[in-house]
Amino acid sequence: MLARAHTFTIEGLHTRHVSVEVDVRPGLPCFTIVGLADAAVREARERVQTAIRNSGYAFPAKRITANLAPGDVRKAGPGLDLALACAVLAATGQVPGAGLERVALFGELALDGGVRPSRGALAVAQATHGAGMPVLALAPGCAREARLIDGLEVAAVGHLRSAVRVLGGGAGDPLPEAAARRSPADTGIDQRGLSPTLPGPDLSDVRGQHHAVRTVVIAAAGAHNALLSGPPGMGKTMLAQRLPSILPPLSSAEAVEVTRIHSLMGARVHALAVSRPFRAPHHSITPAGLVGGASGGRVGEVVLAHNGVLFLDELSEFARATLEALRQPLEDGRVAIARAGHATVYPARIMLIAATNPCPCGHAGDGERCDCSEADMARHRRRLSGPLLDRIDLLANLERETGDGPATGAPGALTSSGRAREQVAAARERQAARLREDGVRVNAHMDARMLARHVRLDAHGQEMLGAARRRGLLSARGEHRVLRVARTIADLDASERVRTCHLGAALALRPDGGLAGNRAA
Amino acid sequence: MSGRDERAPASTACLACARRSWLLSELGGPLEYCARDRTRLLEVLALGDRELLKALAGRRAAELSALYADFHIGEPGSAQDVERICRHCAGYPHGLEGRYGPHMLQVLGGSQRLVELAGGPSVAILGSTAASDYGLASARSIARGLGASGVTVIAGLTDGIAAAAHTGALDANGASVAVMGGGLDVACPARRRSLYGRIRERGCAVSELPVGCRGRRWGQLASERIVVELARVTVLVEAEDTPAGLAGARLAQARGRTLAAIPGRICSPLSRGTNAMLMEGASLVRGARDVLELLGPLGGSGVAPATASTGLAGPASNPLAGLGSDPLAGLTTGLRATLERVGAGCDTPDRLARAGEDPAAVLLALTELELLGLVIRGDGGRYVPCEPLTGM
Repeated sequence: MLARAHTFTIEGLHTRHVSVEVDVRPGLPCFTIVGLADAAVREARERVQTAIRNSGYAFPAKRITANLAPGDVRKAGPGLDLALACAVLAATGQVPGAGLERVALFGELALDGGVRPSRGALAVAQATHGAGMPVLALAPGCAREARLIDGLEVAAVGHLRSAVRVLGGGAGDPLPEAAARRSPADTGIDQRGLSPTLPGPDLSDVRGQHHAVRTVVIAAAGAHNALLSGPPGMGKTMLAQRLPSILPPLSSAEAVEVTRIHSLMGARVHALAVSRPFRAPHHSITPAGLVGGASGGRVGEVVLAHNGVLFLDELSEFARATLEALRQPLEDGRVAIARAGHATVYPARIMLIAATNPCPCGHAGDGERCDCSEADMARHRRRLSGPLLDRIDLLANLERETGDGPATGAPGALTSSGRAREQVAAARERQAARLREDGVRVNAHMDARMLARHVRLDAHGQEMLGAARRRGLLSARGEHRVLRVARTIADLDASERVRTCHLGAALALRPDGGLAGNRAA
Repeated sequence: MSGRDERAPASTACLACARRSWLLSELGGPLEYCARDRTRLLEVLALGDRELLKALAGRRAAELSALYADFHIGEPGSAQDVERICRHCAGYPHGLEGRYGPHMLQVLGGSQRLVELAGGPSVAILGSTAASDYGLASARSIARGLGASGVTVIAGLTDGIAAAAHTGALDANGASVAVMGGGLDVACPARRRSLYGRIRERGCAVSELPVGCRGRRWGQLASERIVVELARVTVLVEAEDTPAGLAGARLAQARGRTLAAIPGRICSPLSRGTNAMLMEGASLVRGARDVLELLGPLGGSGVAPATASTGLAGPASNPLAGLGSDPLAGLTTGLRATLERVGAGCDTPDRLARAGEDPAAVLLALTELELLGLVIRGDGGRYVPCEPLTGM
């Protein structure tokens, strides 16, 4: 007798529909699974067999063949267990087969018949909805995540017996208490914005460093990539960590994208993400770790930082190959991965914030504290310079706070995250309105054509740019970067025109030649 | 050895002097040992060929003596534009003829030009290889003023002060002479190659060692004596108070050259050497004009007082020519105040803001000053004045 169940397998960030066909016929007892199953799926045989027996059903001593269609898609992970077990039960007549056409099944079985949650519930729910199936049965642990998709009935099934009940038209299990989801360990996604009792880091925590704080606000306003340079212990990391708190909240479409990515990567999700992701990989990361492409389809940190911030601390310590791999995502906002088994494109629209010491010892420009030779500095600069630096719009130098100069009181905080967020949001609104017809939303993504249309300099500004070019301070690409930043500074200033003061500030913040060690040459 | 001789170019130097240069390069190892004691190195370099061989050749004495007896000047090889000039040639720089001076110089950029430059007014600029922004800016500024006034700048081609001095002189379309511590083809570090090229275009590079002899420490020390002896006035820009840091200055004192030094902060170890020299009687200089005054009575015929007055100008060369003779003339009071604050140590946007500048306008002011060439961006986001205001 034949039965067919429906489930989904996860391939990187994509879900593929899988039909599980089970045939039971007389013969030597055996249980075979065909259809490009990976090790986890092949092991499902034992789990399914034991779970069926321990749930009080019969596992027939017959020849059982399970086919996972389509046959050319690799099936990975234990999420197919539940569908296999139900198909076996239907094929042996212990469950009415009609239910299997209505209910998609997704979950891993325990030996006692219990259903365990699997990663990617949100994506599976989206796919179920897309495939036109009205009900998705899955473990209670991830039912709440699946319910984020409107128009889909989600049945929590804690046990194989509950699944059989749902297939027969019954109700699923009750969900665990809502309060339980607040436990911090269970929050896979950064939920800071949701709960006023858990305030995130705030810009007002940063004392002094007004110049750097202002630069970070400019970077946030125009989604510019920025480099923070300064001696150790001056708050580069602290400043970068506060960036998500001043970025505008995710739009609903972005929130689904972000939540989906994180759910597929194994984070427990109970609600859509609110604040932007902030990823700070250690500098020992490999290219595959950063952009993806490792076996098993794990996506890289750039994809996890999609719609958010990728923070690279100690930029000069990253391997050259790793940084080179960032070029495509920074340029196109996506990562195309091609490997022997598969080729995929992942979204990766990120804002890059990097931090570095100005020289190997970290104290360049700090009087006699720096003991690096010119050759050391040149080496350090070479490690940083090149194609990646070409995609960085802003350089903020943090300085050691010294007491000299007529002090106007202790340097306090420049601004709070709340105030900065308002400024950034207003500037972004202005950009979005101006760039509506261009297909981009922020100044950082303007190309040369858009720059020509949207950044008109007055005569003095033209003269200033010409002088910078004549002095060899700007390359052609550097000029575009300066114009983009100038546009953002004008937007923060609520100015429709880019005035000289905006251009002057943008020039002062340019990364070209701003790193240590250009002194004598 | 003999392979190197074959590459030696045709020259006007006599056999004895060329042989001397070859011998020094052969004895590089023992000389490196001598270089641990600077005075001893100078004494050794004053020895005659035979004594040198006896003193330093050691186990190689027989071999080297045979080669020495057999020495001949080879055919020009790859380094064809290298010329030679020895103390028996007419016009050999006067200062180098003493007991301690080199017997022969290899020259890139024309031996005739070297003779002319050494005959005119020239200033040696010495200083630390790990200099501060203040030292670098001072060296550059003084060299620029000297270059614009037609004075030749003489320095090594090491990091820090020396490289800044060459850059300054060349920026003002002046001439500079680089004294190398090794063979002219191999002693230039890769990162100085473009500067090396510019020096050879307008001035020349010299070395007492043959082509192909790699740069060593002793060569560096030995080249310092050539720097000092080629010039009429020696300016010490920034040096620590160590025997190594002050070696050049001591040499200038010992040879009776005019020694000048730039004062530095008393708390900065990088300026302790210069301050010590000032205590010992070196002339205090605050800019190119002071150096030109020191040079004047010695016969600085090429010095044009009009351009000397700012220590900067020279109409064609002055990067600030658009502003007229005084680079600060066109500045608004606001920019002038900012520049003065930067010079006084409020050299980052935050420090300027704390010193009372409008935070919103600080960046614009700094950019305007940078575009006028009055400040450059130094290490760690600090702005460094290009011209110390005291020189004006």
